Amino acid sequence: MTSTNLSQDSHCSRREMVASLAGGLGLVGLSGMLQGRTGKASSPVLDFPAKTKSVIFLFMTGGPSHLDLLDPKPALHKYAGQRPKSTQLRTERVTGGLLPSPWKFKACGQSGTEVSELLPGIGSCVDDICLIRSMYTFNPTHTPARNLMHSGNIASTRPTLGAWASYGLGTENEDLPAFVVLSHPRSGKLWRAGFLPSEHQGTLFDQQETSPDKMIRYLRNAHLDRAVQQKQVHFLQQLNQVHLRSRDTSPFLEARIKAMETAFRMQFAASEAFDTSHEPQYIRSQYGENPFANSCLLARRLVERGVRYIHVFSGPGQPWDDHDKIKENLEGRCPEMDTAVAALIRDLKQRGLLDETLVVWTGEFGRTPVSEAGDGRDHNPYGFSVWMAGGGVKGGMVLGSTDEFGFQAVENRINVHDLHATILHLMGLDHEKLTYRYAGRDFRLTDVEGRVVNEILT
Amino acid sequence: MRWVLGVAVVCMGNAVLFAQDSEEEIFFEKKIRPILVDHCYKCHSKDSKSLKGGLLLDSRQGLRKGGDSGPALLPGNADGSLLLEALRYQSLEMPPSGKLPESVIGDFKVWITRGAYDPRDVKLDKNSDAKTINWSESKKWWAFQPVQRYSVAKKSDIPWAKKKTDVFIFRKLQSKGLRPSIPATRRTLIRRASFDLTGLPPSFQQTESFVNSKDPDAYEILIDRLLASSHYGERWGRHWLDVARWAEDNPTVEATNPPYPDSWKYRDWVIQAINDDVPYDQFIRMQLAADLLPDFDRKDLPALGYIGTGPVYHKDPRLSRHVIETFASDDWDERVDAVSRGLLGLTVGCARCHDHKFDPISVQDYYALAGVFSSSWEVNRPLVDMAQDEEERLIWAQDRIPRLKLAIDLLGLPATPSTPEQIDALKRELESLEKTPHLDAPMARAVYDAGIWIDGSDPDFTWMDIRIGEARDLPIFIRGNVSNPGEIVPRRFLSVFSEGDDQKFDRGAGRLELANSILEKAGALVARVIVNRVWGWHFGNPLVRTPSNFGVQGEKPTHPELLDDLSARFVENRWSLKWLHREIMLSSAYQQSSSYHETAVAIDPDNKWLWRMTPRRLDFESWRDALLVVTDSLDTTLGGPSLELDMEDNFRRTVYAKVSRSQVNPLMRMYDFPDATEHSPSREITTTPLQQLFVLNSQFMVDRAEELAESVRSMKDSQTAIEFLFRKVLGISPDENQRELSQSFVQELNQSGTEDVWSVYCQALLGTNAFIFVE
Repeated sequence: MTSTNLSQDSHCSRREMVASLAGGLGLVGLSGMLQGRTGKASSPVLDFPAKTKSVIFLFMTGGPSHLDLLDPKPALHKYAGQRPKSTQLRTERVTGGLLPSPWKFKACGQSGTEVSELLPGIGSCVDDICLIRSMYTFNPTHTPARNLMHSGNIASTRPTLGAWASYGLGTENEDLPAFVVLSHPRSGKLWRAGFLPSEHQGTLFDQQETSPDKMIRYLRNAHLDRAVQQKQVHFLQQLNQVHLRSRDTSPFLEARIKAMETAFRMQFAASEAFDTSHEPQYIRSQYGENPFANSCLLARRLVERGVRYIHVFSGPGQPWDDHDKIKENLEGRCPEMDTAVAALIRDLKQRGLLDETLVVWTGEFGRTPVSEAGDGRDHNPYGFSVWMAGGGVKGGMVLGSTDEFGFQAVENRINVHDLHATILHLMGLDHEKLTYRYAGRDFRLTDVEGRVVNEILT
Repeated sequence: MRWVLGVAVVCMGNAVLFAQDSEEEIFFEKKIRPILVDHCYKCHSKDSKSLKGGLLLDSRQGLRKGGDSGPALLPGNADGSLLLEALRYQSLEMPPSGKLPESVIGDFKVWITRGAYDPRDVKLDKNSDAKTINWSESKKWWAFQPVQRYSVAKKSDIPWAKKKTDVFIFRKLQSKGLRPSIPATRRTLIRRASFDLTGLPPSFQQTESFVNSKDPDAYEILIDRLLASSHYGERWGRHWLDVARWAEDNPTVEATNPPYPDSWKYRDWVIQAINDDVPYDQFIRMQLAADLLPDFDRKDLPALGYIGTGPVYHKDPRLSRHVIETFASDDWDERVDAVSRGLLGLTVGCARCHDHKFDPISVQDYYALAGVFSSSWEVNRPLVDMAQDEEERLIWAQDRIPRLKLAIDLLGLPATPSTPEQIDALKRELESLEKTPHLDAPMARAVYDAGIWIDGSDPDFTWMDIRIGEARDLPIFIRGNVSNPGEIVPRRFLSVFSEGDDQKFDRGAGRLELANSILEKAGALVARVIVNRVWGWHFGNPLVRTPSNFGVQGEKPTHPELLDDLSARFVENRWSLKWLHREIMLSSAYQQSSSYHETAVAIDPDNKWLWRMTPRRLDFESWRDALLVVTDSLDTTLGGPSLELDMEDNFRRTVYAKVSRSQVNPLMRMYDFPDATEHSPSREITTTPLQQLFVLNSQFMVDRAEELAESVRSMKDSQTAIEFLFRKVLGISPDENQRELSQSFVQELNQSGTEDVWSVYCQALLGTNAFIFVE
């Protein structure tokens, strides 16, 4: 079927259902439209009270080394170069003996959580952070593992977490997309809607750019000034109204008229929201001046504007994939990330937003305690660290642990499905109830797995 | 009385046991039961929200019977018991939240060694029986019955009816208290039929001559003209490409899953076959087994792209056999899905981990089908004739060369254990393979019969083990886990369609046998599925509203007799799609107006009963093509390699745009083009602000508007220009209202000193709802 029918009752999202219950779409007057207006969607149906309104998902593409950043393992020094039996696990590549971390770990904050000296910023925020040291996943290669972390399945087809959030909760601000992705445009398609209606897919903004016009395709018209375009849209909408009037009612025609209004407004709303030059210099310098830092700052601006789910990639490519020269690489790369992330947490907290914003920090897996190429680490799906802050998780907490070398999660093991179940829970959604009927069955983000990690909830 | 007695006996039985085994009892109650309750019951008891692994640990019977992996324990043989293995984290790792202390594991060892005393005596839940498939009952499902014609009242009894299909529709409408709508105007009809059959709008002249024709057969002549157009194949071929999830690369593009540069030949083959009205049964047979048919011609090799251009995972040889086999089994799973949902409307993929929960498809059925694909090697094959051994050498070389190059690179890394001799041997092999004749011959992406195994014998390097001349029957991978193989299942068709004769496939991979089984044993279902799809592509909604799921969880047909009758006649008319189009489009139902009707909407808001034609939004391809047509920009060249959609000078039809799985074109995605990584049953049509940003601001729209503006700049007055543009873009003359609005807009722009007034005007006209809407 390639053309729409106008009143299809299958697969409408929960939000659409709510909207349709709230009554038919009324046409907003053209003058109201041109003045601009902040639209709030109807409130979504929640399974439990939401602890967080928005999620900022910080993705360290490539798989950052928990052993050098978040999970201290003194035994690596003791057995340096050796290959005890418990480390003989197959990963992607051939590995050698145990490689001690070149960095010291320090007890930070009131909680005393140990964090690597490479991350002084994050270390200073540990009392707001819940660190999970016992994560594991199911695949040792990038693409399948990234798919797992984003969609709960190794295939490149399933809907992603942000799309599920948009499907379950809709948007708070109709002038901006519910699911925003800040990435280098070649980072892949980890913001797909899969079988969910495509309006739930993430909208990509190119993080390498700083001018909003360049961050999103088609945001501005290169030829017409605003006044002329306003007249043009006005005329176009008049023709559409005439067309509509002779057809009594049509949800599709009305929706397209409304989408035109929103598009027109979005040009200005997005331009304003995505322009960090509105921020005072002292704020900008707290985050730092680089694409990732700019994305973190944008994430905060978007949270303020009611965007549901903001996905920030650390990229381009997969920078955290340190198969060799881990010392030089991490020394070079950590400060920008650390500064920006710490600034984000502090900034959210200062504005009173941290309580209703969940910040998640993870990669697709961790890295091996055994060395690759003598000075690097291979992929490690068996055990790694992630952390969350704000939005309903306990600060200053450490959950779980890996074995003495940091290879496998052993205590309080948490897998990607558990992480997803917990994030949805914090947003007010029951991962077992958030389903979509497709190809003969009800699909869930968490498939048949997933446990809400109650221990870490406030 | 008997009941009371029965209870008493059971109690006594237990009491006796307790007395004899008090020491065992104490051990069990103190050391074993609490552990089972605390760590296992959540997932392995009859109260589990979702039972894992089919294993119940809350009864003696449950433990002894075991789950998907077999008995959990063998009393007396601790080391041979799966339960202990799992607790020790040797095979399975249980409980998943963390290994239990050694002392606890020791208790379990002692317990099992001493006979695994267990007082928890229950009858196993009846549910486990209910799950087995009742074959004779399930054969009665409506979709599995033969299709049959229905005799109906004479059409003359129902003056409205032009075609037999109308009789069924009229009766349903009557029974629902509805009436058909008035016939659509000719102006509406030609626009509707042209977009429907060719994906292109009619010109104003074509419209006028059709509207003014005195010929009573003008509509029929129009349909025949459109069906004869080669643009028909471009439009209906594209429908099929959605079903076939056709694309030109893989979700990731790496050394072992490079793009398919010849994939466009499948697209062109489909378009040609549709234009030639190849009977649908033959169309299917060729896509599964063109190379095995008696009158095989190599120009039909691209047909095998239905399987050959499917998505493939990268198989990095440094990964373990387990991981590689998982990737391979995902590839095979995708093929099972494309064939079963695409052709049969059945969700066979649901039976990968367990028997289908609703439909009569067993896990054996799944692996019997998957075995066809683990025996079908997806390769490039030459389009020029050559001897079989020569072709095999060529295919082998093509497949092997990139793998060797990768292996040489990887083995050359300092970390990889290898000897110079090893690398030299690979280099020599590469050198000799690169001399294989015909490496530069024109190729098609296709399949060749060969069994595919994963060779994990080298601890550091996992190779694909491809055996020409062999087929690989797969074991059941229990719960979908490739490292947990069960019984081996011979390749064969789905049991529900066989008459107690599970005929095994034994000719090569069994592709032709599969095709023949699909068409002969399940022919009625196949016919229903395609007739239903075609109906949906014409009307906007199929009769079965889940077009790729005709199983229990799917929808039932709104007009079962119509679907049956039409399917039966479709088969009698040699599975001809063009016959089917005429039958549908010449009906009164199709030629109805799409006007809104308050009473009818109140009764049937979804237009399920077809009281009108459903108005629709153009899909992306038709919309973009129409924008090119009305601005005189369309390049109508047929076929050939794909072009990037966004290339500035790409004026070809959208069906020739490159379709990528790794870099889905953002514009196509935005306009609901399906993700070609899996079969797409139908398109979801969404309306978003981002689409409208494209209308307002994209260079493509600005350029189209500019092209159009150019044609009116020299016109004597704005009145003439507006008349011309309405005819050109919307195929109508503007009414009074539209004319006035246009005049005052143009005037306003002129007064404000806007440059390119006509460009601004044209872009608005191209962006209207009237342009993207078909009634």
